[in-house]
Amino acid sequence: MNAHAAWAHPQLAAQVMRPRRDGRSEIALRVDGLRDARQILTLEQLIRALPGVQRVAIDAPAGRVRVVWDARRTPLPRLLAVFANADCTAQPLRHDSIDDARATEMHAALKRLLVGGMFAMQVMTYAFVMYIGAVDFVDFTTRGLFRWLSLLSTIPVVFYSAQPFFAGARDELRQRRLGINLPVALAVTLVFVASAVNTLRGDGEIYFDSVSMFVFLLLGGRYLELRARHRSGALGDAVIDATPLLAERRRSDGQLETVAAIELAPGDLVHVGDGGTVPADGVLEGITVRVDEALLSGESRPVTRHAGERLVAGSVVLTGPAQLRVESSGSQTVAARLGELAARARQARAPSMLASERDASRFVARVLLLTVLTALGWLLVDPSRAFEAAVAVLVVACPCAFALTLPATLTRALGVLAQRGVLVTDSAALEPLARVDFALFDKTGTLATPQLSLATVEPLRGDDPAHVLQWAGALARESSHPLARALAAEAAAHGTPPHATAVRVVAGAGIRGELDGRALRLGRADFALEHSAANASTLAAGILVLADAQGAIAAFHLDERARPDAASTAEFLRADNIACAIASGDVAERVAPLARALGISDWHARQTPADKLAVLQAARARGNVTLAVGDGTNDAPILAGADVSAALDSGTGLAQAHADLLLLDGRLNGLASARVIARQVRHVVAQSRRWSLAYNLCAVPFAAFGLVPPWLAGIGMTLSSLVVVLNAQRVGTPTPARGTSA
Amino acid sequence: MNILLILIPVTLIVIGVAVALFFWAVNHQQFDDLDSPAVLPLMDDPPAETDEKDAP
Repeated sequence: MNAHAAWAHPQLAAQVMRPRRDGRSEIALRVDGLRDARQILTLEQLIRALPGVQRVAIDAPAGRVRVVWDARRTPLPRLLAVFANADCTAQPLRHDSIDDARATEMHAALKRLLVGGMFAMQVMTYAFVMYIGAVDFVDFTTRGLFRWLSLLSTIPVVFYSAQPFFAGARDELRQRRLGINLPVALAVTLVFVASAVNTLRGDGEIYFDSVSMFVFLLLGGRYLELRARHRSGALGDAVIDATPLLAERRRSDGQLETVAAIELAPGDLVHVGDGGTVPADGVLEGITVRVDEALLSGESRPVTRHAGERLVAGSVVLTGPAQLRVESSGSQTVAARLGELAARARQARAPSMLASERDASRFVARVLLLTVLTALGWLLVDPSRAFEAAVAVLVVACPCAFALTLPATLTRALGVLAQRGVLVTDSAALEPLARVDFALFDKTGTLATPQLSLATVEPLRGDDPAHVLQWAGALARESSHPLARALAAEAAAHGTPPHATAVRVVAGAGIRGELDGRALRLGRADFALEHSAANASTLAAGILVLADAQGAIAAFHLDERARPDAASTAEFLRADNIACAIASGDVAERVAPLARALGISDWHARQTPADKLAVLQAARARGNVTLAVGDGTNDAPILAGADVSAALDSGTGLAQAHADLLLLDGRLNGLASARVIARQVRHVVAQSRRWSLAYNLCAVPFAAFGLVPPWLAGIGMTLSSLVVVLNAQRVGTPTPARGTSA
Repeated sequence: MNILLILIPVTLIVIGVAVALFFWAVNHQQFDDLDSPAVLPLMDDPPAETDEKDAP
């Protein structure tokens, strides 16, 4: 529990714990491995059982847990140990990511919705009394009283609940664009002012019921939209927030120790594994590495950094491991930079919800034009009815149902997918997913999982298998490749591997390094034996080879097993007219059997990351919509280059950061669910939009000719919105045409 | 219809109270997690250490 102990450091704790007025502390944790509701509740009970815990909030879709507790009674490392024991590793997040802004926004929206609802119902009852009986048996003063009561009850709706629409309309006017808020704000203002004037005069029609109902229903739609946006936003953040607060420092005796990133002093030597994030500014020592500075500079191509050049905190090391001599001092600079990094990455993800806004803007322009034409027309014919008809057109034609379609459907789809083990980090990816017709899979770690046992270690020069395994383990633990992980895990199970120096991971080939002054290479046979006298052909291809300058030392026969659901997923995708392909860094002898077992005829062996990207780009050039599925750092280019990308949650942080979908629990069949849902979303959205347009087209002429009073227009608008929301609930139910495919 | 003069202020007061209660609930995070409490009754017995915790 070395990593947990580091959190006892007061300076580090101050970065993640937010003190509260009552003396307790609050912390936000990113938790991996939250799967079913049962496990979440068990975890919650375990945390609650700790002394001093006041509140636990687990947001499973976002992978976040917030705890409010008394840190004097339960120290932070002990809290983290509880998570680790429950098989959920928890990573504390910087305390400024305890995002009150998001919670406050939700709370405000909920309050506005409820105030709108309660007062709208109240106004409705007053209106009801007036509609059915006021004229006949309630005397004139009572009617006046009800009109005044309606005005009074509408005031909170207009001046509190409807505020977001006015604020939005102001923003839209300032930015000189036509949004959905403008007609809403216009309609609310016009109707309310006219009704209030009529109330004061004691004569003429009042429409308080329409206006308050209108506001309430729109707020309902907004609330749904907000929930969908927060959900997908929170997922993106959870990935981005993986910026390191911990670093691995190389002690003078060569061992690694885990320390707080802010604790690093200038002159410290830091180790960054491949796929790891640089924890502090520093100078690169030793070897040349390639780093991804996309989060910092927006430059998506990896850059090469040579020894002596500076590495910037927040960049990701692709071909590691890197040795870094820390340069910039002072915790504040590092902390500030990491905060800035997360904020920038968040901004980069923001514009994905804007597509529906663009559609709505054209719509709004026509609605406003239509309203003005109606008013002008009636002013010529019968000025006394101009106002009523214009308001009716404004309300009837308001594209609320249209604007509600996408958020309502996406909310439902994201919820359903989260239940089925797929986290959607970018909700815009569902649209291309429905059109995907080419899927490119990585093999090792994605379609198949590697297995190794000591019995399959074959020493070639008579060394003890256990020793050989330790040497190989020393190299393997520096890499995040699934084969290397399997080897390192096996080595660690049989002892403590020695420390290798000058280690360099070559993506798609192997690892080289020095152990006690002896240059060792571990990897594919041609890589391991590249510089030795022995020829590679004597060894069967497809095994891992450990070699030194004299030749091969040992061969490791790793078994690979296809993931249990790989075959069914491949079959499903094929049946859905998606061409599947495998691009693997492994040799043909190992790719071919797996491809045959999965029924995939299009496979490519011995692929470097660049080759994989070329395969993908060739498919895109043929006009295919592409899906890439991977798990490793070497898959990041194809994940970034594909129209839709999916990563397994066991993958590296870099792969996850580039992925639109995260498949939890290593379940590949999540892809099938996602595909079904994506198609349903497309179908339902198109259907709902057709419906709302048809409704508007039918109702507008009636409204324009003065046949629809505003209250009826309000009810019609409500019903059309309701149809859209109910239609969205069909996503996730098995469609009759496809049988039980969902 | 004089009863209206009493009943209408009463409904307004009831609304005021309801809104105040709801605001209190929202501000105390009662609406933040709407999913997991539904599964709560299906859980097995809580872990043993919760039993001896917090006697008062």
